[in-house]
Amino acid sequence: MMKIKIKCFSQVKYALETDELILELESGITTDALQNVIREKANGKLDGISLRVAVNQKYVKANTNLKDGDEVVFIPPVQGG
Amino acid sequence: MIKIEIVRKLITPFPSVDFETQDGAELVFNGHVRATEHGKKITGLEYEQYEGMAEHELKRLAEETVKIFRIHDLYCRHRIGIVKVGEISLHVMILSKHRKEGLSALEYFIAELKKTVPIWKWAMLMNGKKIPSKCHLN
Repeated sequence: MMKIKIKCFSQVKYALETDELILELESGITTDALQNVIREKANGKLDGISLRVAVNQKYVKANTNLKDGDEVVFIPPVQGG
Repeated sequence: MIKIEIVRKLITPFPSVDFETQDGAELVFNGHVRATEHGKKITGLEYEQYEGMAEHELKRLAEETVKIFRIHDLYCRHRIGIVKVGEISLHVMILSKHRKEGLSALEYFIAELKKTVPIWKWAMLMNGKKIPSKCHLN
């Protein structure tokens, strides 16, 4: 098992009603699998919203393997400016 | 030279360059908060950032922009927290030899900022609620 911290912003924060989650997950989980977990928790509120993924403050490719202690952010469309 | 700042207070513009012999163009962009968001009246926007990554991505983008368009200076201040209607949320100043590459660089920098920098805005509604600006404004 491993612990993953998920920081929540914008529509993800709105859907999950929290700033942060810490989940204990099976070793070897990927970002895609974790995204499915998050979308299930959102109960449909993230349907149709594309999410990029950052691990430890950097954008990563799809299906990146996660390790214990990683910080993950599912990034909805950004809106700076 | 590149200068990137994410600030919580009112934005103070970078000072105009009084005596410049290298660059003929000085371009300034100020983004203000409009009174409406998706057709609904708002009191302001609250900008939130992914702290650390937002500044890192802004700096990376500034370095990329300077390199692509061969400009000399790019300065940027982005405000976060509550920004009232009418106030400045984004201030960019670019110095370039000629106006053409400066204008192109400015357009590129702002367009890419809106695609890659993890900053989001929440609409502050007239009824006191706040919601992510892409959501339905009920």
